[in-house]
Amino acid sequence: MNTSEAKERLLLYRGPIDDADPQFGEALAHARRDPDLAEWMREQSRSYGTIRSKLREIEPPRDLAEKIIRERPIPFRRGGTQIIRKRPTSFRPSWTQMLQLAAAIVILAGITTVWLNLSQRGRHQLGQGQEVVVKGEVLDMTCYIAHNLSGPQHAECAKTCIRKGLPVGIKGEDGKTYLLVDKTQPVNAELADYAAKTVTIRGKETMRDGFSLLQVEEIRKF
Amino acid sequence: MSADQEFEKLVKLYYQDLYRFGFSLTRSEADACDLTQQTFYIWANKGHQLKDLGKVKGWLFTTLHREFLQMSRRQKRFSDEPISEVADNLPHVSADVVNRIDAQTMLGVLGQIDEDYRAPLVLYYSEDLSYKEIADVLEVPLGTVQSRIARAKTHLFQRLTQTNHRSHQSI
Repeated sequence: MNTSEAKERLLLYRGPIDDADPQFGEALAHARRDPDLAEWMREQSRSYGTIRSKLREIEPPRDLAEKIIRERPIPFRRGGTQIIRKRPTSFRPSWTQMLQLAAAIVILAGITTVWLNLSQRGRHQLGQGQEVVVKGEVLDMTCYIAHNLSGPQHAECAKTCIRKGLPVGIKGEDGKTYLLVDKTQPVNAELADYAAKTVTIRGKETMRDGFSLLQVEEIRKF
Repeated sequence: MSADQEFEKLVKLYYQDLYRFGFSLTRSEADACDLTQQTFYIWANKGHQLKDLGKVKGWLFTTLHREFLQMSRRQKRFSDEPISEVADNLPHVSADVVNRIDAQTMLGVLGQIDEDYRAPLVLYYSEDLSYKEIADVLEVPLGTVQSRIARAKTHLFQRLTQTNHRSHQSI
């Protein structure tokens, strides 16, 4: 084997991972006898290591693993045939999703308007409602309505959204969802740390343009 | 360990590597996420068919690559190309030059390389797979894989050299 042939082989040599590969044995032996070839090989090896480390800088989105695990298909058997329960949702927004999102934005704009109006009008206009006690999960209404996101996996996002002043709600144990309003000020600051957690709220239930509202009287955070 | 725990462990072990491979192939975050997710989806349904659990990594990469091919709907033809003369014509690119290039630029350069060459090159650089395993993942003969990697390295180094010249000129 001459130097040119050895170089041809060593072009593909990556280091220890290829040491067991017999195709490199003779070329490596040649490099040990030829200082110029050994230097060329070292330079190749350095370039390899640098390009490898650059490619390994690519980081996946933080929630990718969680989403894959959460949406794991649960196969079940029916009559000896394996049936896939559901396919995971795509990361690429489809036209349907875009339309759903647009619809959700319109609905949310309505909710926000109602919510702001109620916050400004004061207590007496809503005070006519029936008093109820609702125990349930604190929701960030934007993500809940637009993307059906709730629960502990969404807690951090919900906390951020609520803290930023987006509409906050509660989903009762019976599944009924209320938009939370307060008599004088938004309840966001008080409830942000309880996003996705269970609280009990006593207040007056009213309806406005089809939305269930709960005017907060008391929050029990346990 | 329950099936759920095993699945979770497998995802956490390989999702980053699979995502990187998918991202290098597609250069799209959403597509790379979809390919990674789809790969584990197929594993959850068909993984039990794999007898040798030592080959899980190769199986996952093969599956992702198949899904990518299906996604891109390309017909591929296999051809062996001689490696000879590639080594002599390989442009000199020092590690210092590569160090000055960020990961995004590197991906952009990789994206200019033909898809047939890009996949083996990415596996060559970023994954600890033997040449036989790379050939199995891409489902092409060993000789084809090696010739493609050699040729792809030349393309990559040529483009890195051009990128380096351009960045020098712009300073």
